Amino acid sequence: MHISKHLDVISACRFCFMCRHLSPVGNVTCREADTPRGRALMLDRIRMEPSRLAQPSYLESLYAAELSAACRTHCVSHYDEARLLLAARRDAVEAGLAPQAVKELAEELLQVKFKIEGKGEVLYYLDPYAAKQPEILKSFRAIAGDCAILSGGDTGKALLTLGFADEAENVAAKFRDAVKSSGCKMLVTSCPASYHALTNDFPLEGVKVKHSSEFLKEKGLSSGKPGKAYYLDSDYLKNYCGNLTAPRELLATAGYELKPFGTNREESYACGEGAVVYDRLNPQIAEKLSARIRELVDDAKSDVLVTASPYTRHVLKLHQPDLNVVSLEEAILKAKG
Amino acid sequence: MTATKESYLQSMLHGELTWVVGEQYVQTDDADKLGHSIDYYWVPEVWHDRGKELTPPDFVVHPGSAKEVAEVLRIANNYKIPVVPWGGGSGSQGGALPIHGGIILDMKRMNRVLSVDTVSLTATVEVGINTQHMEWELEKRGFSSMHLPASIACATLGGFIAHRGTGVLSTKYGKMEDMIMSLEVVTPTGEIINTLPVPRHASGPDLTQLFLGSEGTLGVVTKATIKIHPIPECRKFHAFLFPTMHAAMAAGAKIMTSRLRPCVIRLYDEPETAHLIKRVLGIDREGAYLVFGFDGQEEMVDLEMKQACALCREQNPEDLGTEMGQTWWDNRYKFFYPPYMFHMPQAFGTLDTVATFANIEKVYWAMKNVVTENFPQARFIGHFSHWYEWGCMLYARFIIDEPPTDPREAIALYNKIWDMAIRAAIREGGVINEHHGVGLKLGRMMKDLYGPAFKVLQDVKAALDPNNIMNPGKMGFPGGNR
Repeated sequence: MHISKHLDVISACRFCFMCRHLSPVGNVTCREADTPRGRALMLDRIRMEPSRLAQPSYLESLYAAELSAACRTHCVSHYDEARLLLAARRDAVEAGLAPQAVKELAEELLQVKFKIEGKGEVLYYLDPYAAKQPEILKSFRAIAGDCAILSGGDTGKALLTLGFADEAENVAAKFRDAVKSSGCKMLVTSCPASYHALTNDFPLEGVKVKHSSEFLKEKGLSSGKPGKAYYLDSDYLKNYCGNLTAPRELLATAGYELKPFGTNREESYACGEGAVVYDRLNPQIAEKLSARIRELVDDAKSDVLVTASPYTRHVLKLHQPDLNVVSLEEAILKAKG
Repeated sequence: MTATKESYLQSMLHGELTWVVGEQYVQTDDADKLGHSIDYYWVPEVWHDRGKELTPPDFVVHPGSAKEVAEVLRIANNYKIPVVPWGGGSGSQGGALPIHGGIILDMKRMNRVLSVDTVSLTATVEVGINTQHMEWELEKRGFSSMHLPASIACATLGGFIAHRGTGVLSTKYGKMEDMIMSLEVVTPTGEIINTLPVPRHASGPDLTQLFLGSEGTLGVVTKATIKIHPIPECRKFHAFLFPTMHAAMAAGAKIMTSRLRPCVIRLYDEPETAHLIKRVLGIDREGAYLVFGFDGQEEMVDLEMKQACALCREQNPEDLGTEMGQTWWDNRYKFFYPPYMFHMPQAFGTLDTVATFANIEKVYWAMKNVVTENFPQARFIGHFSHWYEWGCMLYARFIIDEPPTDPREAIALYNKIWDMAIRAAIREGGVINEHHGVGLKLGRMMKDLYGPAFKVLQDVKAALDPNNIMNPGKMGFPGGNR
């Protein structure tokens, strides 16, 4: 089993409670099974008795995990529970035990049709969540100028997080071909999950990959006086890529007075971004995660919440429509006036 | 499935419980039951480690209000089934284990800070709140609970109330029983009551103190008003290395009896200094490490710090300075993360107790001698973590690196060490426990500790909980009805 490669994590996490306060799903469902400890206990049981992987409630809990990796960042020893869960999902898929909803979603994610439109030195990858929210690309273009656009599906990251490793690799190969055909030297994406995928899981040879926050920061924008803003960290940028600074520096350079969101910098405020397509699989929990953001907002009427994640923007817009949530690109465009 | 009485009952109960709290707040699935069948007590951990099944609850119920708690307790009384309150599940004494099945009342849904009184400096809170979340919320408003235990991120406020928990700053800000103003409690028969609004009065015995430390055996605490504090202007630390634990103890006691007000004092015996202080803080020296801190207005902090350092220097210690004190503070929780914390296959237990300054070293030596003389396979280490005007708490631990592989043998050995060490502590003026509680682990020794006075507690239990539904089998009270 793939989980057997992570026995150190099972061993460390199964009786440890030290990060339970940072379990986004556990905090909203209140279930022990939705905490790192609860999940490690389950996987320990599965390690001892692999047939338990077939238990519906175990599978449900495995796929209810939001993979924020906040626990890993917090842990003084950085035990990687997210990686353990990915291994467990892979085990479930390879054993033919993935829940029906997961299989159907995977089938859909396999149907990629990558295409490139427009021209420019920069290739902007329009991920599926950004594609649903035209404001993001529109703002990016308004700031960055013309660029070629690559669209047509996920990079393979979503399949990877669902446990479909081989299928993910196939999709990633198609993605690579599409990028290659563009002849670009730089790919920019607003999607932190895609950024992580293209810099770690499926690296692109000879192509520099940047998150839009890094790209826009390097453009050296002039500053305005757009007022105060609250930045919601992306799980991928913060907990997977260690990039806490680029979005904040970009917003500060644009003239925003940045306010700390919520009560702390450790909790995940990304509404399930770590699991890439979390809202598709767990819409009710995604709604609860968005309600947690609402609970922590200082002033729901006036606060501007900036997110670097198209996924997070989508979930918050859907479930908390009255909150003033904008993408990083929209925020920068507004600052430019 | 055979239509047994049990299955009819299961279905009826499920229907009644969902009627009260809603479908999504009654769990019966294996995944969630597993998480509720193991806490931080070594015995269930070892059973799990060896692949054994643990007694799960029949239902996990998440109430959203005191009214819902009351309804659940009425149902449980009707069917005479056990109810075990559950907070963070991180208790080390087995206090929240559903050893007789029944209902786990998982309180985490009741997790709001309801109000903050900035005039009196109190906050009213639902007790299912994770204490780190509570602290963050209070800090955002410019205050602190000053309840900063190593388990701050693991446990709920209700869990700390249940077993009279404590935090690292207890020496100045007190234990849970000092921090609470008043409680809302649902009694075992389903009445919602409030204790008096202030903790100091002459209006009869204090009900707040009755429920504090009752570990869910006398009812369910649903709301608490706690004291809060301004964020101090500064907090400073200093550390010394004493040639012996005895010399360090003399210095620590002098600080307290001279009525200085440190927020924390911690003294590690020689073996723990050699083992944990070296491993976690990187201080590789022989002796007994003593660290203390003061907080508040800087001028007063500096003055008290100067006095405390002068008292320490009377014992000729090595001065490790402020940096080695600050390092301890910065790493104070690190001791409890893997791999620094003891872990399987090791057998380990925290034999925490408390005694007066006149007795505390006798207690230490009695426990240590009992463990090392009777159990050569065990190591004994200890530190003194919570200090009072009259004495201090001993956080002693035994560790067996290679316990018997048979879990029954390992548990028998483990229980024997507890029996002998705690009884040795009681003989020298110690008690069963200082801040982790009694739970399942130590209930059998309550009669030894209290003597005839234990009947008073038994009578209170019987009067409040006539059907013995509340957390049966814990704190030395009888097991369940089923």
